Amino acid sequence: MMDEILGLSSTRWVLLAAEAEGKGGLFDVDATLPIMAIQFLILVAILNELFFKPLMKVIDEREQAVRSGISEAKDRLSKAKSMAENYEKQLAQTRRDIQELIASVQAEANRIRNQQIADALSEAQVHVQNAKAEIEQQKQEASTALDQQVTSLSRQILVKILGDLAQVS
Amino acid sequence: MMLASFPTMAALEVGKHFYWQLGNLEVHGQVLIVSWIVIGVLVVASAIASRNLQTVPGGFQNFMEYALEFIQGIAKDQIGVKHYREWVPFVGSLFLFIFVSNWLGALVPWKLVKLPEGELAAPTSDVNTTIALALLVSLAYFYAGFKERGLGYFSKYVQGSPFLLPLWVIEDFTKPLSLSFRLFGNILADELVVGVFVLLVPLVVPLPVMILGLFTSAIQALIFSTLAASYIGEAMEGHGEEEHSDHHG
Repeated sequence: MMDEILGLSSTRWVLLAAEAEGKGGLFDVDATLPIMAIQFLILVAILNELFFKPLMKVIDEREQAVRSGISEAKDRLSKAKSMAENYEKQLAQTRRDIQELIASVQAEANRIRNQQIADALSEAQVHVQNAKAEIEQQKQEASTALDQQVTSLSRQILVKILGDLAQVS
Repeated sequence: MMLASFPTMAALEVGKHFYWQLGNLEVHGQVLIVSWIVIGVLVVASAIASRNLQTVPGGFQNFMEYALEFIQGIAKDQIGVKHYREWVPFVGSLFLFIFVSNWLGALVPWKLVKLPEGELAAPTSDVNTTIALALLVSLAYFYAGFKERGLGYFSKYVQGSPFLLPLWVIEDFTKPLSLSFRLFGNILADELVVGVFVLLVPLVVPLPVMILGLFTSAIQALIFSTLAASYIGEAMEGHGEEEHSDHHG
């Protein structure tokens, strides 16, 4: 027997007490072997149904879910990026438009201001001219009036002098 | 003998079996009892884990998923991404059965249970269990090779020099032999060492050895299932597809 070779049998040792009275011993192979094999195959079948299949399914499903979640998130990210880009572009465009608008409005305003200044200036000149003309006219009138008064006064003076002369003579 | 007067907690019995008679066959009762407990533990644990499966795992499901992914990792590393899925249950059951056997054998104080003869211990410390598992592994890798490559599987025996033929045949015997005896020897030796230490110094001192024992137990389960997966992977991989490369093994 194998255990005799190994010197395990018939020593009634406490440490290696391999009782070998016909049967027993470390290497006692008997019907336990096929029973264990069948038992183990049944265990594999049970665990396959109860443990491996359902858990692997759940893990696979989760992996799928995570993967689809990641791809969805990537989609969303790219969408958000393109939206942000679009927005940036629109913003820049709007800014440019506004600057153009401001420039044109400023130009317009300048134009109107210059126009008004010019108008006001010319109006003022007209006024000044009118006033000058009026002054001239009044001066004229005044001088004519003065002339008339001078004439009448001088006539009166003349009459008086002449009257006096007549009386005297 | 002086040592025999030690309390039964510290006594060691090796090679004694609690025989049951089945017809004219004899079986080792103590091995079967503990193996049933192991199977029960595994079945109950899987039932609890898969009773209420959720996409976002919590608690026990999480733990069992970790175990499953560990096992899947073993199978994937050894068998390859293409075929590993169908072998996960077999390799995984090997790992779980051996691991739980070893740990229950090391952690449960079986000596408190009195049997008429022999004592309860890890089923893997009985040579019947390990040979049964090793033979199943042999069958599995033959099946895997045959299923994957048909009769081409046997071409590896005749390929190359005929001088190698006996080596290939011998390898098919040495594989289960080394598998079974490695596991059996390690677990039995571990139990013996712990037993001897408990016998000599019943307190504290055996603890490091016990912890070491737990470590070896886990390693042995890992080694057994990894080798099983590697044999299966090797059988499926086939030497025919890579004739340019050397025969390895």
